[in-house]
Amino acid sequence: MLHFFRDGFYRDFTVLMLVTIAIGAVFSSGLAWAVDSHFGDSINQMIGDNGEYDVILHVREEAKEAALRELQRLTEHQFPKASMNETLTIAGQSNLFFGFPDEYKTQEVLGGLTGIFNGIPGLNGYTVILEPSILIRGVHPSVRSELQDRFQAISGVKFAFMDGLNMLVLLDSMEVSRTVSDQVKQILAEYQILELRFPMGFEVDTQQISDHVLDLVSVEVNAQHISNVSSAEYGEDLDAFLKTLVEMRNFLLSYASKVRIQADPGVHLVVGEQIVVQGMGDVLPVVGDEFATGQVVVEVLSVQGDQAEGMIIKGSIVDATSVLEQAGFRMRSSGDVSDLVGTVELENEQYRLAYTINESLRLLHELDELAMEATLAVDNADAILDTFQEALMQLEVLQVQIRQLNEGIAQGGGQSASEQLLLTLLLNGLMKNLAQGALPGQGEGSIDSLENLDVESMRLSLTNMAEQIGNVQEIDIRGIIDQIKHVRDSLPRLDDEEIGRSIRLINTYLGGQVIPGERVQLLVHQGTIDDKVLEPKIRDALDNPYVNIYETSVGMVNPDARSELFRVLKEIRATIAGMLAIGFVMGTLILDYATVFSTLKWVRTNKKVPRNKLVKLLNPVIVFGGVVGMISLALVYVFSGAEIPFVNLGVISGLGFIMGALIVIFAEKFSPIHTNEIMAGQSLGLSDVQIMREIVIPVSRPGLLNLLNRWKQRF
Amino acid sequence: MLEIRGLHKQYGKQIALNGLDLVVSRGETLVIMGPSGCGKSTTIRCINRLSEPDSGEILVDGQSILGFTGRDLREFRRSVGFVFQQFNLISRLSVIDNVMFHLVLAGLPKDEANHRAKMALDKVGLLHHGHKQPANLSGGEQQRVGIARALASSPSLMLWDEPTASLDPILVGEVLEVMEELVRTTQTTMVIVTHEASFAQKVAHKIALMDKGVVVEEGPPRLIFENPQSDIGRKYQRLIAS
Repeated sequence: MLHFFRDGFYRDFTVLMLVTIAIGAVFSSGLAWAVDSHFGDSINQMIGDNGEYDVILHVREEAKEAALRELQRLTEHQFPKASMNETLTIAGQSNLFFGFPDEYKTQEVLGGLTGIFNGIPGLNGYTVILEPSILIRGVHPSVRSELQDRFQAISGVKFAFMDGLNMLVLLDSMEVSRTVSDQVKQILAEYQILELRFPMGFEVDTQQISDHVLDLVSVEVNAQHISNVSSAEYGEDLDAFLKTLVEMRNFLLSYASKVRIQADPGVHLVVGEQIVVQGMGDVLPVVGDEFATGQVVVEVLSVQGDQAEGMIIKGSIVDATSVLEQAGFRMRSSGDVSDLVGTVELENEQYRLAYTINESLRLLHELDELAMEATLAVDNADAILDTFQEALMQLEVLQVQIRQLNEGIAQGGGQSASEQLLLTLLLNGLMKNLAQGALPGQGEGSIDSLENLDVESMRLSLTNMAEQIGNVQEIDIRGIIDQIKHVRDSLPRLDDEEIGRSIRLINTYLGGQVIPGERVQLLVHQGTIDDKVLEPKIRDALDNPYVNIYETSVGMVNPDARSELFRVLKEIRATIAGMLAIGFVMGTLILDYATVFSTLKWVRTNKKVPRNKLVKLLNPVIVFGGVVGMISLALVYVFSGAEIPFVNLGVISGLGFIMGALIVIFAEKFSPIHTNEIMAGQSLGLSDVQIMREIVIPVSRPGLLNLLNRWKQRF
Repeated sequence: MLEIRGLHKQYGKQIALNGLDLVVSRGETLVIMGPSGCGKSTTIRCINRLSEPDSGEILVDGQSILGFTGRDLREFRRSVGFVFQQFNLISRLSVIDNVMFHLVLAGLPKDEANHRAKMALDKVGLLHHGHKQPANLSGGEQQRVGIARALASSPSLMLWDEPTASLDPILVGEVLEVMEELVRTTQTTMVIVTHEASFAQKVAHKIALMDKGVVVEEGPPRLIFENPQSDIGRKYQRLIAS
């Protein structure tokens, strides 16, 4: 077969291949570029020219006009010369462009976008399309400021600012985008977050665990710096929801009736098994009978030796006012009562709580009244003291007056001796009585004793008491009572069965979710983490086989929206170029190469039949066609910049080979040749290249081969 | 001039030539006859290497031609004129171009080639049809163009592969006339494959009768047709007699 080319046709064929590849590459890439350009223009129309707008505001369609007015107001009052426009409305959401004037594109302004656009009516969110910029998603709070400083130190970076959880790095120009992006990725790669997650329900002392793990990781990971950043980020809605669920479960558990089971000797209780008791019903459980109305079914929650705790899952004891102590029987899965297991003590927590609240209310009522009474009592005591003090003073005055009278009588003031004697005796007796006491039988020195009473101290005590009572009265006991009543009224009106079912449902939900429980996060700077090595060591150290270890980055570099769109467009362009390359090569194989293949096949039939079976099997013309197809397609594909997703160059080459081989097999159908004319050419002593140029190609299908041949054709 | 020794050619499992031996002297006209499929056409196709024999030897002027490749083979072919049963004209070329194009491609100046082509066409009586396309000519005329094309290069050996086989009986005569004239007027060695027994009788110096890939009888026409030694010879004898 090679002699066919040796005459000189190899030059024609080589030129054909080169021209095919060149035109194919230009055609494929050109057409793809035209499509790309068209779509690119469309995108620019949709999202504005590069740098024209900085933010797309997503607002509800019905609020669009109001949002536009607000944006207009913003433009007039806060950002003069700002640009704004509206674009597509998709699924009830209008998109409005807003572009800041250059002088307002500062770190302060851009860092406060949320505040700036907060007042836009109907705002559903916004997307920053500031260009040129690099977007880093999900920047960990522990490194935000550090990263911001480091990014701003990169040449070509204007500044960096946070927008929600993301950080945007604003660039001087688009040209530095790739180099800055590479540097940003390098910096981000220095940091890693090592996260330990504990399953739900684990009570973890985060700080203690963090310190413990920190020490371990410091030894295992050769890092420049490791720090505990567990508290840096814990605000996810899901976490909050789960915490609420856990708290709700705990509340329900404490609100549910307490169930304590004392197993009989030889009885082994198992967590999860169900026990029937009489409850508030009239019917005692009977072995073999079914569960009866009024009876209560208890599920065992925990077992310690012969004692267990449980929860009512069927029936209720909400009306019980005292602790019930009843015989408990196992319950079969069929619902029948089985053997006796021991004594079950049921305590109605709701009743106890309601009782406590009611008693508290009573106490508060009493306290309120007591305070009022005490105030009155203090006031009375004070009055009594005043009276007493006044009486004492009057007694002293009386005593003095009597003494003076007595002295006057003794000096003879006109009375007879007998009168004087009588008066003196009376006065002395009175004096004696006064001196002995105001009341008969109180003994001598009563007035002195009264005088010695510390009235002021008593008054001070009364004042203090009044003050304390006043303090008590100042307490808003009514308010407390109202609140306690409110709490009492707010308590869920659930019976034990409802509580039990709710707890089981919450447990099922929590248990079924792969949701983080407690977690510990460590920031590792410039270290290499091998979580497969670390995980078993940390599990051993914490003696917890359920802890999981994850390694995450502190942020992800994302292309900006426009870059993303254009990246997609580029992919589309590359795919179109690939499809065109395949189509083009197929076209040339049919229009041009098929002629050559047909001729080669015919020439081969006139040669000696090869004895070698392998040569017979591997028809050289088919192999040749496959190689031609492979080279043509691979090179057109590469030079046109084609790239079909998930299809590598090897696959393309293989496809080219198959295409070429198929065209050889069906060559005569695509391009029949006039064998008589070729034979005539051979008989006339024409070389193969002359036969091709003068006889075969001129009558072949119009194509590149035909076109190129015209320069060499002599007839 | 031409010597063929033990020539073998097989198409798949079918044996076309089975140790063919032939000798043609310079200026001699050899007519090969025989039933269809006996290997006549294969023989002359092997002579100018349009078919490659599987084994054997072909000597032209004492030189083996089976080893020729490339330029040597082309030179040899230019010295051999070949007239095909189906004319094998280049349909896109005019009559004159059909006759001269191989001369030009062989390096002859166009004017010289044109002159020689016209002479060749004149010999076959088609000079006035030079500007026509082959499709506008009758079968006989097309074959005469084929003869002119073969003659234009002044070959030392002419090979004719059943030149009248695809012509209407009415047109056979004009071709045979041209051939007879050529045999008479030129000293060119000719190997003619034909079924035309009377023509062979007229023009052949020697007739070779072939059957199953070998020459079964060979000799002057008179000897072959008057006293045939083979079955094929006797069949031709009966044909001529009838």
